[in-house]
Amino acid sequence: MSVSPNGVAAERGDGYVLVRLSGEVDLSWSQEVRRAVLDALAAGTPVGVELSAVSYIDSSGIAALVEGFQQARQNGGRFALVAVSDAVRAVLELARLDRVFVILPSADALLAA
Amino acid sequence: MKALRARSAGARTAGGVRPAHRPEAEPRAGEGGTLAFLAELSQALAVSLDLRQTLSETVTRVVDFMQVEAASLFLLDPATLVLDCRICIGPVDITGVRLAVGQGIVGAAVAGNATQLVVDASNDARVWRAADESTGFVTRSLVCAPLRTAAGPIGVLEIVNRRDGTPFSTADAELLDLVAAPAALAINSARMAASLLEQQRLKREFDLARRLQKSLLPHRRRDGFPVIGVNRPAHEISGDFYDHFELADGRIGFVVGDISGKGLDAALLMVRAASLLRWAGKDGIEPAAWLARANDELCETTQDGRFVCALVGYCDRAATRVRFAGAGFPPVIVQRGDAFDEYASGGPPLGILPGVVFEQREIALDGGTFYAFSDGATDVRDADGRPIGNAGVRALIARHAHASLEPRLRGLLADLKQLRLVDDTTLLLVEAPRAEHPELLVERRMPARAESLRELRGSVRAALDALGVEPRLRDRLVLAVDEACANIIRHGYGPSCEGDIELRLARTGTTLAFELRDTAPCADPAALRPRPLGEMRCGGLGIALIDEVMDDWRVEPAACGRGNRLVMHKRIEDIAGEANEA
Repeated sequence: MSVSPNGVAAERGDGYVLVRLSGEVDLSWSQEVRRAVLDALAAGTPVGVELSAVSYIDSSGIAALVEGFQQARQNGGRFALVAVSDAVRAVLELARLDRVFVILPSADALLAA
Repeated sequence: MKALRARSAGARTAGGVRPAHRPEAEPRAGEGGTLAFLAELSQALAVSLDLRQTLSETVTRVVDFMQVEAASLFLLDPATLVLDCRICIGPVDITGVRLAVGQGIVGAAVAGNATQLVVDASNDARVWRAADESTGFVTRSLVCAPLRTAAGPIGVLEIVNRRDGTPFSTADAELLDLVAAPAALAINSARMAASLLEQQRLKREFDLARRLQKSLLPHRRRDGFPVIGVNRPAHEISGDFYDHFELADGRIGFVVGDISGKGLDAALLMVRAASLLRWAGKDGIEPAAWLARANDELCETTQDGRFVCALVGYCDRAATRVRFAGAGFPPVIVQRGDAFDEYASGGPPLGILPGVVFEQREIALDGGTFYAFSDGATDVRDADGRPIGNAGVRALIARHAHASLEPRLRGLLADLKQLRLVDDTTLLLVEAPRAEHPELLVERRMPARAESLRELRGSVRAALDALGVEPRLRDRLVLAVDEACANIIRHGYGPSCEGDIELRLARTGTTLAFELRDTAPCADPAALRPRPLGEMRCGGLGIALIDEVMDDWRVEPAACGRGNRLVMHKRIEDIAGEANEA
């Protein structure tokens, strides 16, 4: 079980933006996550949300990711989940969304794919 | 290669074979050829894990390369110290010939753990001549090299007569000594592989026996059935069994048995005894006659001193009275409140003496509990290694007597496990079905704020861990509770969040009940519908997840217009019964 503190940070990569999430994503701060995802998409480059250090995510966190996905699709942009942790994958599977999101092993694949 | 070098170094000292001048008729291929031969032989042997193939590969190659008339390989039986010829190539087949250590040149090679060179066999009294005499073959010259291992010689490699008629030289002896090294190594490996295979085969057979045994044990009944059995094998397979069945007249028959001895044949006797006892009791005859019938049947077919201890009986559905008879079985313990009574029921074990008459007795339970433990329980060892005996088992029951059935079984088994189990342990109990009281696992009240969720998840998670709920299900249940609370916070209380959430987690038998109470305005249950999963929509996912994880859930608004109660249920695997229900 990861013990990372809650955190969200956007990193500008080479031709993409990577939003790093960590900790337990729940109702208490999922609005921050939503904001960070939408801000990253505003740049117009592909966006990845890095989830390897996320030890818990609830439906409000999933909703922030869904909104990012929809926003990107509307604008013809790319949006993917990167390095999804087991805990996040379990919830995605439960919600039957594991095949809907684009899930990549690493941020580099954002450009390649 | 390492083994080869070590052996060749050892050969000079231990073998006593010194390099001598090379006679003219000397090897066929020179140094390079010898090395190539050894390398090829080593490689061929390295990939061979079949003992027979390893042996014949060695001998065949030696005959071809060293150009000899005959070669043979003897293996040593360490128990009898007899050398047995396993492979032989040449005009006379001596396969199966057995020589004692020390007998002949072959025996001398093992006795001295040194290569023996006999240049002129006609002048050496040690040479074993029985084969020559009976076949007319003439042994002129021979070399015997021991197959050395770290644990001593395991056999001998022998060559007889060079084809060109010249006697063997020390160089030949040295070469055979070198060949013996990889051969010994390969034989050892092949033997190890064979014993591994044998172990795997045994394991498969044990697995099969265990599955067969498990399939014979009845499933736990949850419909207020008064008889419950639990079995804990001390090893892979058990000599214990239990059974229960209903008769047409409403009585319930039960059996507990314990086979003497361990291992596969005890397990097979268990299978036979279990079906025999079930068959003998199906007619509803008196317990004493039931045992007598099974005893006569078992006496006819059970040999080599094996026997079966058993207890059989009947009770009514409400478990008011029990009628039972025992055969070499420990006294049953009946607990009524704080009082304990022991009831022996005489009779020798089954399968020893035909025609034996058994005693039976009938007791009133008066709301108490009837415990029949196989002697595995009384044989359980305390911290000092002493059997706890019937008094120990009584103390164990007393410690858990107050608890309702499931936690009691769990506690008893956990205690028995903590003590040292030296024998299979089986417990069969009879008691009137009681209404089970819920066991409260978590009770918390917290402010209805998103900041409370993390701590709440922690307490639910800890409670589920304590129950032994497997991690995947645990995480799902934690998520469902979190989603329910988040909904109350977001939609129940709304933005001006003032109020509390109360969480209670209780377990009744194998069902977990999660109850959440709030004082928010009443919800409209009709509006709380799960939406299909798999859709890319933001709202309503929480309820859909709850619906997916829980077996059932409902929201009950309070009558007065404020306050709601959400109840969610989930059935979990029975932890106490894992031994016979998995």
